Amino acid sequence: MPGTQTLVNELVTKLKKRRVEGSQETALLTAELLRSVISQLKVPPTNQAETLIEAVKTVGELLVAANPVELAVGNIVRRVLHIIRDEDFSVATSSAGGDDRETAEENGFRVQTVAAGPPSRSPSLHAILDRTPDSERAHHSSRDGDSFEGKGKSADRNAESWKLKHDVIRAVNELIEDINSCHEQIAEQSVELIHQNEILLTFGRSRTVREFLCAAKEKRRSFRVFVAEGAPKYQGHALAKDLGARGLQTTVITDSAVFAMISRVNKVVVGVHAVMANGGVIGPVGLNMVALAARKHAVPFVVVAGPHKLCPLYPQNPQVLLNEMRCPSELLQDGEFSDCMGVCNGSGNPLLNVVNPAFDYVPPELVSLFITDIGGYNPSFVHRLIADYYSADDLDLQKRTTS
Amino acid sequence: MWWRSPSFILDKQQSDTVPHQRNPRDTLPLPSPPPFSMADTLQNPNPENNISAYYQTRAAHHAVVTGDWLAQAQAAIGRDPDDSTDTTVATVAGKPFSVIDEFNSWRKQPELAEAVAAIRALAAVIRNCQATTMMELEIELKKSSDSLKSGDTTSISLTAGCDLFMRYVTRTSALEYEDFDSAKSRLIERAEKFGEISCKARRIIAMLSQDFIFDGCTILVHGFSRVVFEVLKTAAQSKKLFRVFCTEGRPDRSGLRLSNELAKLDVPVKLLIDSAVAYTMDEVDMVFVGADGVVESGGIINMMGTFQIALVAHSMNKPVYVAAESYKFARLYPLDQKDMVPALCPIDFGVPIPSKVEVETSARDYTPPQYLTLLFTDLGVLTPSVVSDELIQLYL
Repeated sequence: MPGTQTLVNELVTKLKKRRVEGSQETALLTAELLRSVISQLKVPPTNQAETLIEAVKTVGELLVAANPVELAVGNIVRRVLHIIRDEDFSVATSSAGGDDRETAEENGFRVQTVAAGPPSRSPSLHAILDRTPDSERAHHSSRDGDSFEGKGKSADRNAESWKLKHDVIRAVNELIEDINSCHEQIAEQSVELIHQNEILLTFGRSRTVREFLCAAKEKRRSFRVFVAEGAPKYQGHALAKDLGARGLQTTVITDSAVFAMISRVNKVVVGVHAVMANGGVIGPVGLNMVALAARKHAVPFVVVAGPHKLCPLYPQNPQVLLNEMRCPSELLQDGEFSDCMGVCNGSGNPLLNVVNPAFDYVPPELVSLFITDIGGYNPSFVHRLIADYYSADDLDLQKRTTS
Repeated sequence: MWWRSPSFILDKQQSDTVPHQRNPRDTLPLPSPPPFSMADTLQNPNPENNISAYYQTRAAHHAVVTGDWLAQAQAAIGRDPDDSTDTTVATVAGKPFSVIDEFNSWRKQPELAEAVAAIRALAAVIRNCQATTMMELEIELKKSSDSLKSGDTTSISLTAGCDLFMRYVTRTSALEYEDFDSAKSRLIERAEKFGEISCKARRIIAMLSQDFIFDGCTILVHGFSRVVFEVLKTAAQSKKLFRVFCTEGRPDRSGLRLSNELAKLDVPVKLLIDSAVAYTMDEVDMVFVGADGVVESGGIINMMGTFQIALVAHSMNKPVYVAAESYKFARLYPLDQKDMVPALCPIDFGVPIPSKVEVETSARDYTPPQYLTLLFTDLGVLTPSVVSDELIQLYL
């Protein structure tokens, strides 16, 4: 597939050189790329789901390796894998119901696949005996294929294979739609959260938060916003300008002043980089401070996040532990330290180091509420969302030859 | 209830009439549990004293065996020839099939968890039963399960394992067959599968927890949990560099056995007395414990001392990880420490204790879910709040 290969390489380069900013952009590009990979893939009549999964996993591995810190890439890859498994299962069940039962053995095979249970559900106590591992499922679907071809139903089979790809592409389109429209869906819930004459605090600059606040403004709530500037990029300034332009009363404060001002604030609303499986969040550096201050003064800490930010990994996982160290020059004004930067001690190590981490981890105990496009949830409920959107088999994107 | 009322004076007078059982043991300088033979412990001869057969067996398997204890055990076996012949007779064909005997024979292996032994025994019940209808089979299963549970009311994993087995194996979807034999074979298949899964649970848990052990970390463990040992063994075999702080785990001192095993694997081990946990907690990166049972709130019931360690770890912001197989999920909801069936285990202090002095002999405690960070089970990595979700779905 020469066409897809160039597309993949293009995206990989973009990710490596960090030319793509923001998790929503990355998520959309990844989803679109995977959609073209799937549509251009030639699927054999048997084991179609397996081929699709293999192909997506290969591409996914490359993408994740290009920018391991951007968790949205891995999230979308796993979403697509889950979609493939889901659609495969529903195709199998619908064909079992639709076909007239010709022979008992065919029936037997079908009953087996159906009784295997939805592969999309992560392992659960009540379904523990109904789970069949991947190898068994593949065996079943290949047996189905053989029995079909033996009976001369190859045309039907081709139609089925086309159906699976079609369904998967339809579901991926829905996913792209969801990502695009998540801001509106989240913003709709702002009216319930923001009351009259409230004071809100936000940190740095998040598009989701901006839409959230503006939607409440549209509904004639009058409230004030404190914006913490979010050093070293000072993106809070841009957000403050935006909000001011839309008619909201905004105050800019430094990150260090958050603790001093938190007692006057009714709620903290922030956007984050990623939401982890235990309910913790990864956000811009300095967010943990804000969360701790909010906890100290019993101020609700609300996180708004779109579905592409939900990550099925735990924060202790080495893939997640990576914190991107940005360029130190962001911290220094021009030429400020140029005289002492070169000074080294006896063993050649520079005496002055400047470190600029990009992310911060906030543990789940400090978060009061998550607002997603499907509603508001407790941090302890995140596992349910993860079970709905992701399959347990996909957590490790490396292809395993033996399970 | 009566534990907290000041009428302990009255209670003391009542219990004074039954202290003579304790005296002979107090005067003997034994460093380890009393010399019950294996057969004795399994039959639980002291149900009224609430001495927990479960903890006796664990102590027998993992605690320190001294020469004295061995001599006592030999003497005890010599004293009761009927008990030793009982266990051999069970294997003779012609004797009616007894689930307790089957259970005991499975339980002899120290590597096998009690609940798994019970599951295997119940699977054997299905295989050997003479029933001709589903109802009869179910009734027989229920009877066997009840007799297993009544043999030791203090063991949570045994009760939970039996209940789960009954749920899985007798779910209605398995019973839609016309013909009894195929239904029975399907049941046997499910039962064997459940036995398989339970056996493999430890491997799965060990694989899942590898990500959480990083190079250079210090792990604190409490007592001897076979699951935690499997986790540490897998980490050591994949050449991870870490060190382990191991508490002694009084009164059965199972921590000593664990430190022996870890030293054999070339893992740097440091032994602590139970009171030294808070002292060393700031050097520790994470706490790993097993569980005797996982309750509905997401908390765990485990060897005495676990709650203490979890409290200290929580106050110093150290994560507490629990490794527990899924058959340990029990439908219990203790509200405080005294809310469970008391499981007592006699403690030997090495010196005679005057009979006026009361000893707290409970063998286990309850750790509430807010002190636990994550549970590693064969269903995956779970937060404590997921446990009640799972249990509700199973029993709905």
